[in-house]
Amino acid sequence: MKIVLENLTKVFPSRNKKSNDEVIAVNNFNFEIPDGKLIGLLGPSGCGKSTTLYMISGLQKPTGGKIFFGDEDVTELSTERRGIGLVFQNYALYPHMTVKQNILFPLQNLKGEEKMTKDQMLERAYEAARLVQIDELMDRKPSELSGGQQQRVAIARALAKMPRVLLLDEPLSNLDARLRLQTREEIRRIQKETGITTVFVTHDQEEAMSISDMIVVMKLGVVQQIGEPQNVYDSPANLFVAKFLGTPPINVFRGRVQGGKLFIGEAEVMDVQGVKDQAVTVGIRPEGFVLDENGPLSCKLSNVEVMGRDVSIVSTHEESLNPIIRSIINADHKVNLASETVRYTLKPHKVFLFHAETEDRIYFGKTEEA
Amino acid sequence: MSRSAYDTIRDSMDKKEQNKQKFSAGYRAAHFFGQAGIYLFLIVMALIVLFPFYWMIISSLKSLPEYKETIPTFWPRQIIWQNYANAFTTANLGVLFKNTLIVGVVSTLLSVFITIITAFAFARLEFKGKETLFAALLATMMIPGELFTITNYSTVISFGWLNTYTVLIVPFLVSVFYIYLLRQNFLQIPNELYLAAKVDGTSDWKYLWKVMVPLALPTLISITILKMMGAWNSYIWPRLVANKEEYQLITNGLRNAFKEAGTGDVDYPLQMAAVTLVSIPLFLVFVFLRKYIMAGVSRSGIKG
Amino acid sequence: MVDSKQQWKAWLYLAPAIVLLLIFTVWPIINTVVLAFTEKYSTLANTGGTSFRIGFGNFTDVVGYSGFLDALKITMILCVATVPISTILALLIAVALNAIKPLRKALQTIFFLPYVTNSIAIGMVFNAMFNMIGKIGIRRPKIQSFGIINDIIRFFGGTEINWINTGSDEWANILVLIIYIVWNALPFKILVLLGGLQSINKQYYDAAKVDAAPRWKVLTRITVPLLSPMIAYVVITGFIGGFKEYTSIVGIFGETMGPPHDAGRLNTIVGMIYDSLENNLVGRASAAALILFGIILIVTLINLQVSKKRVHY
Repeated sequence: MKIVLENLTKVFPSRNKKSNDEVIAVNNFNFEIPDGKLIGLLGPSGCGKSTTLYMISGLQKPTGGKIFFGDEDVTELSTERRGIGLVFQNYALYPHMTVKQNILFPLQNLKGEEKMTKDQMLERAYEAARLVQIDELMDRKPSELSGGQQQRVAIARALAKMPRVLLLDEPLSNLDARLRLQTREEIRRIQKETGITTVFVTHDQEEAMSISDMIVVMKLGVVQQIGEPQNVYDSPANLFVAKFLGTPPINVFRGRVQGGKLFIGEAEVMDVQGVKDQAVTVGIRPEGFVLDENGPLSCKLSNVEVMGRDVSIVSTHEESLNPIIRSIINADHKVNLASETVRYTLKPHKVFLFHAETEDRIYFGKTEEA
Repeated sequence: MSRSAYDTIRDSMDKKEQNKQKFSAGYRAAHFFGQAGIYLFLIVMALIVLFPFYWMIISSLKSLPEYKETIPTFWPRQIIWQNYANAFTTANLGVLFKNTLIVGVVSTLLSVFITIITAFAFARLEFKGKETLFAALLATMMIPGELFTITNYSTVISFGWLNTYTVLIVPFLVSVFYIYLLRQNFLQIPNELYLAAKVDGTSDWKYLWKVMVPLALPTLISITILKMMGAWNSYIWPRLVANKEEYQLITNGLRNAFKEAGTGDVDYPLQMAAVTLVSIPLFLVFVFLRKYIMAGVSRSGIKG
Repeated sequence: MVDSKQQWKAWLYLAPAIVLLLIFTVWPIINTVVLAFTEKYSTLANTGGTSFRIGFGNFTDVVGYSGFLDALKITMILCVATVPISTILALLIAVALNAIKPLRKALQTIFFLPYVTNSIAIGMVFNAMFNMIGKIGIRRPKIQSFGIINDIIRFFGGTEINWINTGSDEWANILVLIIYIVWNALPFKILVLLGGLQSINKQYYDAAKVDAAPRWKVLTRITVPLLSPMIAYVVITGFIGGFKEYTSIVGIFGETMGPPHDAGRLNTIVGMIYDSLENNLVGRASAAALILFGIILIVTLINLQVSKKRVHY
């Protein structure tokens, strides 16, 4: 089932009755989610990603725009008639019901043609439970389960009625680090097995990048970029996206372009053909630095962190917009710790130019447009 | 360090150590006597609290002559169970029990139902003027019940309800306090459960009965018991509106059955037997549902 | 935005409660105020189409009525005596219960027992305990049984007191009522105060132990201040209950509201309201009810004001 969002907009009226400041949670969102894909909605808190999810679920009504499931316009359809499954951030398991009763609950509410017999329901419940590997826990109460198990129950409950669309709201945020890794693989596996179009919301870029087929990066209600995770990472559409994706984060410098050359401070660091003269913001991925004794970019060396395969060099530069510059290079390269400076040349495809004011991407040279 | 200085320090340390031991021994002794005193106080108070119950029961089993003896006996010489049978017929307890049970059960069921749906509307549904209406409701709790009784008395007369079960049930079905109590309980249920139930295709009505009511069960049990006890103990209103014997409730019947006749001679053992019979159901409820009663009472401060 | 379907549904849920409240709560409030200010109202004359004078007649009537002042006096005495006694006693018992481990549950249950009683029924038991049987109140009384309380007094060498019978002293009557009301009021107060005590952080007591504070000091300097919100609560509810005292008197003395030779001398404000009502003096009953409401309001406000200054949160 593909999902189409057409000019989707949500405006919350102001809480304060005196002022008329409205909050635009989602602004004119257009997107077609292809059938059977896992989509990550990504952004900092307050960016409108949860609101978007809730509008797809029908729990919140859009102020403007339309939502289609396949060819069916579901904008005016109430939640219970959309045939969705939703996993809440805190799972929202019914505390007084056992795992089995929790999973059966949505099935018991089916009406009309979808109505099932008791046996069918049980079969379906066990099927869902097996899929998330909790069929041993069916007679327990939610309070007797660990966080990871509760999460699985919530997913099983959402899956049991075979939803057209599965929605997950921050599915991993309540789990500890180890479980988070394990569970995200699990979600990926379940999604692949069932083939249900799945949308999940997260503020954790690593989480989104690692399992999504496509990610949607949002900021203050506006979609910044949509694409496959690697493409978005390799070719961010603006400074916000560049900064939001990647750990360690991208290094940002003040720079200027003059005669097809990029300058950081007084140093001419790179060729940037076809860009007209202007002040720019330069983003350089940590892996975009190459140690070179004769390199054009000279930074003050602070320290070196050894991480096994790689080393991370921490340095500073007057034109850097961040307090430190972090570069990651192969551990084979020896760094002279006694030296006060470290010099780099840059990998052109790891360097992004942004308009100093609008922060939009300025494309140059051979880097193809995204 | 010179030897004498070292000794001085040691001495003073020893003294401190001794002091500490003396202190802790004294403290322990004080603690022991203190603890014994506490138990003594509590047990004496407990005996005082229990004494009326003890006196009620042993008096109910005495014969009238034994009861009237100048030197009281603390255990009946001869246990007269017959008092209970006589009390039951004298005070017409059969009819009184039946009436009280009917009124208690029906009014409790209806009242709990109304409390649930009203509390649900205030806790879960959105409508204009919700806050104002709720505040107005709470404000009525300030007003003493006597103020309502005056008009309600003439209202039920004009309805022609005197001496019916209706008059004992309907006027007090809505308890603002219980609505308040249950609404607070409902509000503690996380919002996500409601959203989850929406996703699961549940109507508001079904969500109320399948999720909210089970989750608020302890509060509901407390409310049910307190309401039942209220019916059992109500005196003023039934006295006003149901004075015919076939509609009298237990408390009214009890007080009137043993009014001193002209001679001023009351059969006290019989009276005490009737009082015991009336008290037993309350004690049974208390023994089995103590937890809920105490939880409900500590929040309410309303008797019955 | 609230959509209209939800509005409609909400009012459906509220309908039973609202209908009942309009009839049995809202209308009485309005009507009582109107009646209280309508002089010499009678239902019969009303149906006859007579119009009545509006004024304070009922209020002056109530205040001028000798029964009212007596009722007010009795009510005040009962309030002023029972609230402090029962609060202090309950506080001591709660603190004592909180200080022990074995038997706590059992004792707690015993102390709660008076709550689950019928105040009329147990009033009759108190009557039996204080009652004398024989020829009483004549010149040469011939008493057969003194009642268990007098028996206990005589056992310790005292002389018997005529508590509630014919010829009894009003103060003896009131003392019996105070004992019964305190006995009846203890469970609720103990329950609330014990609940409060158990929610006090144990660290304060450990700190006091380190400082070697004696028990009474711990009680007055730590427990009472920390418990002050609960104490304020039981005092306020105690006063409200006290001003509405009625059934405990019926329990002991019967509906005559006094010993046989002086019926009605123990009448309270609530009792007076019902007397007026039964005698078809609706205006007077309404005015008295409003006065009662006013008194309760004032006492509550005073209590809140005092506790605002004295309660340490």
